[in-house]
Amino acid sequence: MNHYLEPIHFSGSIQPHGILLVLSEPELTVVCVSANIQEQFGISEDLLNQSLSTLLDVQVVDAIRQSLHLIDSASPIKLQESILVSERSFNGLVHRTENFIILELEPTLPLGLFSVPAFVRRAFTPVGCVRRTIAKLRQVSTSHEFLHLLTQEIRRITEFDRVMVYQFDQHEAGTVMAEAKRDDLPSYLGLHYPATDIPEQVRALYARGLLRFIPDLTAQSISLVAASHPLMQQPVDLSLAILRGVDSCCVEYHQNMGVAAILVIALIHNQKLWGLISCHHQTPKYLSYETREACELLGEFVSLELAKKVNSEELDYIIKLRSLQSEFVESISQVDNLKEALVNPAPRLLDLVNATGAAICLEDEITLVGVTPTIEQVSVLIQWADTQVKDALFHTDSLPKLYPEAVVFKDVASGLVLLQISKVRRYYILWFRPEVLQTVNWAGDPNASITVKEDGSITLSPRQSFEKWQETVRLTSLPWKACELDQALDLRSAIVGIVLNKADELARINQELERTNQELDSFSYAASHDLKEPLRGIHNYSMLLLKGYESVLDEVGKNRLQTLIRLTRRMESLIDVLLKFSRLGQAELHLVPTDLNQLVNQVLEDLGVSHQDIQPDIRIPRLLPTVVCDPVLINEVFMNLLSNAFKYNDKPEQWISIGYLDKEGTRDWEQHERGRIFPHSPTPSLSDSRITFYVQDNGIGIRARHLETIFRLFKRLHEQNLYGGGTGAGLTITKKIIERHGGQIWVESTVGMGSTFYFIL
Amino acid sequence: MMTKQCCPLLIAEDSDEDFEVLQVLMEQMDVQNPIYRCTNGDKVLDFLYKEGDYDNLDVAPRPSVILLDLNLPGTDGRDVLEQLKQDQNFKEIPIIVFTTSSNPRDVEFCYEKGANGYLIKPIDSSELEKTVQAFVNYWLQVNTPPTSKSARAKKHA
Repeated sequence: MNHYLEPIHFSGSIQPHGILLVLSEPELTVVCVSANIQEQFGISEDLLNQSLSTLLDVQVVDAIRQSLHLIDSASPIKLQESILVSERSFNGLVHRTENFIILELEPTLPLGLFSVPAFVRRAFTPVGCVRRTIAKLRQVSTSHEFLHLLTQEIRRITEFDRVMVYQFDQHEAGTVMAEAKRDDLPSYLGLHYPATDIPEQVRALYARGLLRFIPDLTAQSISLVAASHPLMQQPVDLSLAILRGVDSCCVEYHQNMGVAAILVIALIHNQKLWGLISCHHQTPKYLSYETREACELLGEFVSLELAKKVNSEELDYIIKLRSLQSEFVESISQVDNLKEALVNPAPRLLDLVNATGAAICLEDEITLVGVTPTIEQVSVLIQWADTQVKDALFHTDSLPKLYPEAVVFKDVASGLVLLQISKVRRYYILWFRPEVLQTVNWAGDPNASITVKEDGSITLSPRQSFEKWQETVRLTSLPWKACELDQALDLRSAIVGIVLNKADELARINQELERTNQELDSFSYAASHDLKEPLRGIHNYSMLLLKGYESVLDEVGKNRLQTLIRLTRRMESLIDVLLKFSRLGQAELHLVPTDLNQLVNQVLEDLGVSHQDIQPDIRIPRLLPTVVCDPVLINEVFMNLLSNAFKYNDKPEQWISIGYLDKEGTRDWEQHERGRIFPHSPTPSLSDSRITFYVQDNGIGIRARHLETIFRLFKRLHEQNLYGGGTGAGLTITKKIIERHGGQIWVESTVGMGSTFYFIL
Repeated sequence: MMTKQCCPLLIAEDSDEDFEVLQVLMEQMDVQNPIYRCTNGDKVLDFLYKEGDYDNLDVAPRPSVILLDLNLPGTDGRDVLEQLKQDQNFKEIPIIVFTTSSNPRDVEFCYEKGANGYLIKPIDSSELEKTVQAFVNYWLQVNTPPTSKSARAKKHA
């Protein structure tokens, strides 16, 4: 059924309860008249091509003639005087089309079919009722209450069986927002129906703020009889005619719902059709012009008031979001951990854009909040969405239509907002909304209002409308509001700002650190110098004593002076280590590709010379790779580790094994060339990964409780007179060198069996 | 080999103990050069420019060699070095740095500024003895110091 092609406002027929005359201007000659003028109203004159005064009093015609300039094409104007035709009283309504004046005559009292309206019985003027209604409506605050009260009041004024307020969404689909009805009728509250239920042309007429009144949908429409007039070649434009005929689709649609009379009042908001007040009656029902006019006025008031209510609710919502935002941002700015701040408390992030689920992606770590797809699904989704992002934001209320893979999680994520905080660092926030069908609130069962036809004919009905509407909203979520998207973008700015602040802070800390380092440097320098000077004094004076007073001192005295001298030497070596250690942190690394085979061999040679007593068996299972490192420092690493392996061994058969593990625990290193392997035949090429080296011995081993402490500065496990002494700084320096290279070092050991030092380079 | 009596040695050293040990060692090595000592940087400059306590020629002859500690009270040894090596009158005078600091930065700095040698004071007395012996052998015995005349000639050029 296609409504779109039929120009309904040129339908060339009217409803039978009034008369329509088309008049030429300025002569006011009748060029077209509705066919019912004779049958229904018993007017026998042939009016075509006659002056209007043939039918009406001269005064009336004169009055119309004098107010021609006031007649426009915005809406029909009611003539002040009621018009008598064949002893019947009519209201006269005039408006202008492109070429003609149209005069419609409506009986002031309904014809036999219709019941007498209540106002006649009650002696209340419709305007009085409306005024009281307006006063009541002003009392309520929320738009929900407002619409509810409105339907009740309209129903009281019109006495129709059912009064509903529809609201249109951005796709022009409608929802029944409020309803007042006879108790025995099924409820349509909460029903949704597709845009196609209201034909485009009808919608356009409603958008002009017009009221539509059809007192009897079953009544036979009346055709127009036109005179041969040059301008009458075209059908008359009946857009504004109150009596305009009824489209057959409209009749069928309403008859399927068991409706015989309708009154529809447009609700306009921001020059757009916001919704409709729709009144249904199961039997034909006539409303006086005054009552309709009163309803029309009420509609205008409601439009204005609704705009205020909607705006203020929108505003309240924006204010709520804003305050949420500012709290949120404040809390983010106070914590170090961005993820924690975003995730806790969970509802905050969701409330920010009124979502039901969210995912926070910080580099490769995804955290889910609320109802969401799985982490794997989110991860793949991000990859896709990343290509869609413009200006840091991507949003859709129908993800599966753009990204078919999303069909599987449409229930939780038919709507998506993806906020790109940093593309470089892969920081994203995603918000999800479920498919709309999951969120429709049912005040009533749509199935309850159904009368299924047995012949199976396809007819429109609330249920079918609802089903049709369901089809249109399948795979879509509630739309994202502009203010919600603004919130998302604002959040991004805030996070970026905070991150930038943090970066500034980091820069400040770095500066501070640099200053501290410089201070440390000058401290260690001063310390080395200033401490060494008195030390030298002690040493030299002890020497002078030993040499110059040999004859005076006994053996004990001489021994004590020797001890003093030994201690000064030891103290000097401690100061030297301290100095060296403090410089390690600051010295620049001179990174060059280094063949570790050469390096290790050189170290072993040096050690072999100094440890001539026992030569352990050196095992190097396979050639070592070439790595990019600072050879001087790495030389020191091997020197320290190997000399420990030499020293701390009391076995008769000593061995030391030097090698590296096969690729495992691979980590990506972003910027630095450090640790990159250079293909070096015949060594295996383990390109772009760090290598774990090891130095293993079968020595005395280290107790488990000392595995950490051995790396502490000056921490020794053995007495000075055992295992060749040492300052207790070798492993500390080793650890620092490895860390300067971006690696790590650890040890595994079994007491009495030996130790294995692992380090990643 | 005898050391040159006519060539004064100026020692900038704030530590009395270090200086005394140095004296003892030089005595043992039979050093004949007149030895002058300044205990801070300002005094070194006064000594050379004949200002302050040293405005008398006899008290402050032009040294042939300067043994300079870096960490001096007042004007630092580094500043003294820099100033003397920038001065046309004094830049020929060999300045040998004699310091505790083994900091590569200091070594580099001193050579950059024109130091003629850099000796590190060891703590160990026998090491110290070797170092002082090397200094005496080279700078006070073997090496020919610049004459004060050549400096003057430059001055009037």
